Amino acid sequence: MKWRKLGKIFDVAQSDFAGEFIGYAQSPQALVCEDRVRFYFSTRPPAENGKFVSVVQYVDMSRDFRTVLGRSHGTVVPLGKLGTFDEHGIFPFSVFRHDGAVWGYSNGWNRRKSVSVDTAIGLAISHDDGQTFTKLGDGPVLGPSLHEPYLVCDPFVRVFDGVFHMWYIYGTGWKAAAPGEAPDRTYVIAHATSADGIEWRRSGRPIITQKHPEECQALPSVIRLGARYHMVFCHRHTFGFRTDPARGYRLGYAWSDDLVHWQRDDARCGLEASTGEWDSDMVCYPHLFACDGKTYLAYNGNHFGRDGFGLAELESEH
Amino acid sequence: MKWVKRGQVFNPADIAGRPQWMHEYAQAPATLVFDDFVRVYFSCRPPRDADGQFVSYSAFVDLDRHNLFRIVNLAREPVLPLGELGTFDEFGTYPMSVIRRGDEVWAYYAGWTRCESVPFNVAIGLGISTDQGVTFRKLGPGPLLEYSPDEPFTMSGPKVRFFNGRYYLFYIAGDAWVLKDGKPEISHKIRMAVSDDGLHWTKQHKTLVPDRWGENESQASPDVFYADGRYHMFFCGWVPRDFRQTRSRKIGYAWSTDLVNWTRDDERVGIDVSSDGFDNEMVAYPHVFALDGRTWMLYLGNQVGRYGFGLAELEGAMA
Repeated sequence: MKWRKLGKIFDVAQSDFAGEFIGYAQSPQALVCEDRVRFYFSTRPPAENGKFVSVVQYVDMSRDFRTVLGRSHGTVVPLGKLGTFDEHGIFPFSVFRHDGAVWGYSNGWNRRKSVSVDTAIGLAISHDDGQTFTKLGDGPVLGPSLHEPYLVCDPFVRVFDGVFHMWYIYGTGWKAAAPGEAPDRTYVIAHATSADGIEWRRSGRPIITQKHPEECQALPSVIRLGARYHMVFCHRHTFGFRTDPARGYRLGYAWSDDLVHWQRDDARCGLEASTGEWDSDMVCYPHLFACDGKTYLAYNGNHFGRDGFGLAELESEH
Repeated sequence: MKWVKRGQVFNPADIAGRPQWMHEYAQAPATLVFDDFVRVYFSCRPPRDADGQFVSYSAFVDLDRHNLFRIVNLAREPVLPLGELGTFDEFGTYPMSVIRRGDEVWAYYAGWTRCESVPFNVAIGLGISTDQGVTFRKLGPGPLLEYSPDEPFTMSGPKVRFFNGRYYLFYIAGDAWVLKDGKPEISHKIRMAVSDDGLHWTKQHKTLVPDRWGENESQASPDVFYADGRYHMFFCGWVPRDFRQTRSRKIGYAWSTDLVNWTRDDERVGIDVSSDGFDNEMVAYPHVFALDGRTWMLYLGNQVGRYGFGLAELEGAMA
């Protein structure tokens, strides 16, 4: 795939969100509206007791991505009640139009004692074109299960040929890099299908080959171009990824013709880090979408999306 | 209905030289009947750790089938290991409910983990034994029964039963964490799921028993027993209100003819606290079983089983 980078199209510090939020516009996810593209992202209000939460906001941009036309005001999707899976944050939030409404699958997270967090996937639906969402309930639609014991998260949901498809990730291990250090997590990409978007059947296996046992795979995003399905995701090392750019997030790529078998081929991804730029050390949280006959990739750069997100336009599928 | 108390059966503290992990408590009894003995599973605790926290293990004590007050054997190891780092059962496997499946014994158990904003979360897993219930191997590292939009947390207290060719799992699911004096206290309700194979469960998405004791009452340990043409449910509960109420336990009762619609009728439960002894403050976590033409109830006494459990016998009919 060949991409033309359009640069960092949304800079939090330069935006109307500055001050109200301490930064971060993580995991941009597009909803194409009549005269605009609405980008949902996760951001952070000022921390209480030194602990941050993630909340969903959106920014509306013109369909050429040059002008900000609007933004969210107030709560888009509320965090969960005491003790629920999404009490401490929602990040990311995967939206799409379905049946006259906007459906949003949330990755909710909550803090744990022996490990830092656990997560699960919730569903919320909007009847005001995505301005506010109502949850289906206090609990998740997809959470820990017999063979996916924790960290079920990063949903990306689309309906293809009348079937709901969810790509998501689950944890395969928590371990410390060295004795006494806080445990880090490893996770892989999986797939589930559903007739109604609520009751899911998991395929029960990782679908993308790991490059090595300590590779973490995150944020799968899928688009159909012609007869082929393309997936872009991000991957990093389990340990040292926060400080060592060589172990930090980069994009990966896989393709499929049947939505069951995926062929990983990172060399074909075509979107690399740019030396000296906002995405020099890290490229993460990719999101594929189509608008006006073109294919786009929204993504975050350095510091896990602390400063904003960027966009690239597909020039060639090959 | 009338239960006649026959006395205390088991208290870990009475066992000299017991292992550290069985220091105290014998909670949530559940039975498995053998030719010569009745195996009673229970959950116990080592002393609190440096942070003042408990973990729970499940174990068993074997009682002479012909004299239930005679202990003939005691588990040497916990029947289930605690879970790995980050899993749902990292800090406890309690309670458990067992059922024979051919030569195997299957155990549905609640696994405990610790959270930051609330003290714990709980989910239900499955262990399978091929050595007549001495040890169980987990089917997987995660829970068998999953959370759902209407059952968001603290799924616990499983009781598995086989009625009319199908498996029934009675359990509890969290309704709310209620702040009392700034402390989160759990309120959960009795729920049910049905299965043809014991592995794939269909939730009823329904609270079976209405509240009776108070606002946000917590219901637990739904123990279902069939007799005299009806299903009888004995359960346990409390009201998270003040410290005394939150720490106390009561036994409730409901009956059903179809397992789905239940009529609550606590007046008929027929058992209450004693004037003295290990159960003079509370009776809790009932488990009813039939043996050689008699019907028995195992129940916990004071401090929710800290001093073990006792046995009562049904006098007359249940219905």
